[in-house]
Amino acid sequence: MRFESQRVAWWFFATCMLLFTLQLVYGFILGFAHAGYDGLHDVIPFHTARATHTNLLVMWLLCGFMGAAYFIIPDECDRELYWPGLAKLQLAALVVVGVTAIIGFHFNWWEGRKFLEIPRPLDYLVVVDVLMFIANIGMTVWKGRRLTTTSMVLFFGLLMAALLYLPGMIPTDNQTIDSYWRWWVVHLWVEGVWELIMGGILSYLLIKLTGVDREVVEKWLYVIVGFTFLSGILGTGHHYYFIGTPRYWLLVGGLFSALEPLAFLGMAIYAISMAKRGGRRHPNKIALSWTVGCAVMSFVGAGFLGFAHTLPQVNLYTHGTLVTAMHGHMAFWGAYAMLVLAIMAYAVPLMTGRHLHASPASTFAFWTSNIGMIAMTLAFAVAGITQVVLERRVGMDFITVQKEIEVHFWGLILAAGLFTAGILAQLWVFVRSGLPVGDLVSGAREGEDGYGAG
Amino acid sequence: MLSRSQARTFFLVGTAACTFAFVGLTVDTFGQLPSRTNASAITPEVARGKQLWDENNCMGCHTLFGEGAYYAPELTRVYERRGEYFIRAMLVDPAAMYPGERKMQRYDFSIEDQDALIAFFRWAGTVDLNGFPATPNLMPLAVGDGVAATGGRPQLFNTMCLACHAMDGQGGQIGPALDGVGGRLDAVYLRRWLENPTAVKADSRMPVLPLSDAQIDELVAFLSQQKD
Repeated sequence: MRFESQRVAWWFFATCMLLFTLQLVYGFILGFAHAGYDGLHDVIPFHTARATHTNLLVMWLLCGFMGAAYFIIPDECDRELYWPGLAKLQLAALVVVGVTAIIGFHFNWWEGRKFLEIPRPLDYLVVVDVLMFIANIGMTVWKGRRLTTTSMVLFFGLLMAALLYLPGMIPTDNQTIDSYWRWWVVHLWVEGVWELIMGGILSYLLIKLTGVDREVVEKWLYVIVGFTFLSGILGTGHHYYFIGTPRYWLLVGGLFSALEPLAFLGMAIYAISMAKRGGRRHPNKIALSWTVGCAVMSFVGAGFLGFAHTLPQVNLYTHGTLVTAMHGHMAFWGAYAMLVLAIMAYAVPLMTGRHLHASPASTFAFWTSNIGMIAMTLAFAVAGITQVVLERRVGMDFITVQKEIEVHFWGLILAAGLFTAGILAQLWVFVRSGLPVGDLVSGAREGEDGYGAG
Repeated sequence: MLSRSQARTFFLVGTAACTFAFVGLTVDTFGQLPSRTNASAITPEVARGKQLWDENNCMGCHTLFGEGAYYAPELTRVYERRGEYFIRAMLVDPAAMYPGERKMQRYDFSIEDQDALIAFFRWAGTVDLNGFPATPNLMPLAVGDGVAATGGRPQLFNTMCLACHAMDGQGGQIGPALDGVGGRLDAVYLRRWLENPTAVKADSRMPVLPLSDAQIDELVAFLSQQKD
């Protein structure tokens, strides 16, 4: 770590870990309800738990991206953050808005629009908050001593994410139009501009961890984000198959979603080949594991499972079933949760000065959480496919089918237990790493990141 | 081998082309939506129904157009499948309609709000969804020719009774199957039962359904004929 203001990222990462842990609690409430034990129904009904579960995810991922940006941008631009104080204010404001929203969900204060449940007045506050963030990062890039491709890709990813929040606020009485704009936010985030953020963070990590030449890493970064947009933008069409939009979306969405795995495959090959090519033995091996793991798991979860689910002739039956939950869990874990954990694994030891990256708990956390998530995906797959066959193909009653698949949710809960053990270990490593009081590597040049030669 | 500036050109041109195409398709889609979504039928009552749908986060458990959570039934065709009376009863007291089953929150909607939600569901059923939800197509293969047609049964029986009971292998499994019920129970008993189940059998979990006398007549006549 080279600049004092990078430390602010630690507070964002601490918020991440806290919200992530809370997200797991709500996940268990949902899992038990599906297994037939909804004892909390009167206090936290299913739709409250679900809105909380997904919005906590979105919030901690955004928090993680912001933390990552505050850590990476000063390093890339070779200067302190333009307004270090504003970064802290912006985090505090974000937490207040987020907590208000979550509490509101428990009192029927929300908009019933999947993933965008935050009530409208709070939407405006989110916009103001994100503008503060973008302004801070933008000024740092603008006044920076160096303009790198990595920082530009990261900055434009964040800027576009902020702008794409706006279509979700267009009012309409037509459910179809409501959905149409909602996917502009949700899809163009996760399968569009968030992948820019992902590409930017991955390339930063690969440059730092593998020692491969920046020129090479950044060239391939262009190719990968090129493929992402080539497939992802028109791939929005896979949300427009069955909501009242014209039939040509089946063709457009089907074709371009089928290309989406290519972008993720590219990302995976990119990370693996850079990791192999780099001659450098970086001491923080677990950060490299998270980095390469992120690229691989996002290919499986977002790329492959997404492809299987969005073929129009398959989606006609799987649309609106637990198969979506199967794809969703591994996709978000692989692409974005692991990405935030990767940058944390790299940055936290530098910020705190305590190098726990080689501890057994770190290794345990990586493997247990990943194996747990794979098992969860399998449990969702069995439940989802059974639901599709019995309800959508054979025509059995909804509730009857739900009872038939309850048993698979016990499988899910067991797998989630394993996953949670991994995440708690990660939390333990984070807590033991302590507060951000590590030394600055003053006057260091690129490549000297504070880990030593290794 | 690909140079860095070529890579950047690939990115910029590809992104620009796709964005252009996407915006173009969006414009065309919005031109088609008024007729495809039957937009002229979106009355203030339907709009109020959508507002209630949003305010109470119904999508947090149900799906509509296949979008939402997967905890409660898909509601796109609910007006056609269950009919107005069932939906109204469900909106008033969900726990009574599915006793001991997966729970829905009780909202105590006013009559106007019930009307608005029913109008919203009726509208949703008229939107052209490119064939979603698909008709289940494996049933005839699974049970052979023995599968019964839904014809011949009163509409009310299909929408109301089959929510919990089964007949000819179709319907729910919350109450007992009704095949051959006319051979076991006579018309007088059936009438008393439909008027108030717990008055006949104190521990019954079946609710008093919002049925008119004429509707009870129709159901009793049909059920009495089910001799085997």
